[in-house]
Amino acid sequence: MPNGTIQRAYLVPGLPHLTANVPVESWETLRRGCRQAGDHVKAAKPDVIVVYSTQWISVLGHSFQTNPNPKGLHVDENWYEYGDLPFDLRVDAALGTRAAAIASSLGLATKTVNYHGFPLDTGTLVALRFLNPDNTIPVAVVSCNIYAGQEDSLTLGRAMRQAIEESDKRAVVVACTGLSGRFFTEEVDPRTDRFAHAEDDTWNRRILDLIAQGKNAAVLTLSAEYAQAAATDMGFKAFAWLMGTLGTPTTPGTVLAYGPVWGTGAAVVEYSVKRHA
Amino acid sequence: MANGTILAGFLAPHPPHLVYGENPDRNEPRSTGGWELLRWAYEKCREKIKAWKPDVILVHSPHWMTIVGHHFLRVPHLKGLSVDPIFPHIFRYNYEMNVDVELADACYEEARQTGLVAKKMTNPNFRVDYGTIVSLHMLNPDWDIPILGISANNSPYFYSTEIGQEQMVKLGQATVRAIAKTGRRAVLAASNTLSHLHYDREPELIEDMNKEVIFNNSQYQWDMRVLELMRKGNTEQLMTILPEFMEKTAAEVKSGGLTWMLSAMGFPHIPAQVHGYWTVIGTGNAVVEWDLTQGTV
Repeated sequence: MPNGTIQRAYLVPGLPHLTANVPVESWETLRRGCRQAGDHVKAAKPDVIVVYSTQWISVLGHSFQTNPNPKGLHVDENWYEYGDLPFDLRVDAALGTRAAAIASSLGLATKTVNYHGFPLDTGTLVALRFLNPDNTIPVAVVSCNIYAGQEDSLTLGRAMRQAIEESDKRAVVVACTGLSGRFFTEEVDPRTDRFAHAEDDTWNRRILDLIAQGKNAAVLTLSAEYAQAAATDMGFKAFAWLMGTLGTPTTPGTVLAYGPVWGTGAAVVEYSVKRHA
Repeated sequence: MANGTILAGFLAPHPPHLVYGENPDRNEPRSTGGWELLRWAYEKCREKIKAWKPDVILVHSPHWMTIVGHHFLRVPHLKGLSVDPIFPHIFRYNYEMNVDVELADACYEEARQTGLVAKKMTNPNFRVDYGTIVSLHMLNPDWDIPILGISANNSPYFYSTEIGQEQMVKLGQATVRAIAKTGRRAVLAASNTLSHLHYDREPELIEDMNKEVIFNNSQYQWDMRVLELMRKGNTEQLMTILPEFMEKTAAEVKSGGLTWMLSAMGFPHIPAQVHGYWTVIGTGNAVVEWDLTQGTV
């Protein structure tokens, strides 16, 4: 009987600042956290890394990357001066296809995407640069439907969990998302990077404290209020997707790093779940 | 001293369905047609642009969303494959365009001088967004006129509609000064739909026009109200109701292109010509022309 497992789960940031060679204290803290996460992923020897990215925005339901080998060069539309992001990914198309079918059977609109030249998003590529730097592990990538609420995001995560279970594979699941989402809207000296609002920092810490206590269900309950108060990245629905994959456990998350990026909140959080999907 | 001028402005919606329906060689997917009323409307614009022989077409696109200020394409030649991240099954377009970098520099300088945050996009590997490409293809499929692409700053969403619109008025003023100083004969394009609520499921045959209807009648009524004001040249009233229009119909003009264009044209009182209106997956789209060569009424 298929018996896939989720070895580890992560929340990671996906802004291109983290790949830029710019010496900013908070960015360096986050880079260290991402590298640490990458080391742990490598040690877990997963068969696949599944990424849900808030920067892959979809409108007609939820999209799943199923091109077996997307190749190209990505340039961020905002911070193009921070350099190019070349990519040459090995995609587990079967897992994406199956997850899309399950999600569809659960009532979600889904699409699989298999097109030469399809634009991968900055978040996915930044996350994978740290979590899969040698590009040795196949990946699956899921979009962020801008119209999806928490319930749909949980369902989308459950669909992926079922697909992993059926695949008999060992997976690492990754929600690539920011926390508070208020950017500085003017040019700032990166060395002075800080939270755009002090209240955003307070909210982020409150959420991360709950995660560190394993109160993941409480985070879900607070997500709407958090989104309203701190203008969270896509309503923090990436966290709901992650909880969908994990079944909202009481497992504590370990905060590997936390800090501002261009005014927004970013954290690297690790769940050592090793649960059967 | 150079004395450039704006020849015309176009409301130039960018659903990729219009390119798909036309089947140009540059686009890989094939269709059996569809959305003819909008495509034929664009054909009228193409004829006029060909006759004018402008030096440049400037396009403001909501699908190049920028956080820090207003950005201008500033690479002399851009080429690539644009695959629409939302509609990849109908838009995979090979683009190649010449950018008016002197005008980009001038717009940048004028925008900074008026107090706006501005940037020049100088990365040659940058992928041009599909909003820019679709509007430009529909206006000039031969791509034989230089262009200048302008990003949509997110200020209406970060702050408020009012602040966003104020910025676009300034950007329009900066643009017209830059055009005047560089001596360009320019055409402007606001790459926007009108009402923007839409369906999230597509018919099996994408171009099945039997399935193509407005999302709801309220959206249609609002679109007609806005278009009627354009037709009458009642620009003051148009600007007055735009914020409510944006709120009630999630209108894409919130991203600023229309206000930028009207501001650059000096909020003209000439009657605009509505070349065509139709829906695309439920959104309201109109091809509208303000011909400044005809003089004021």
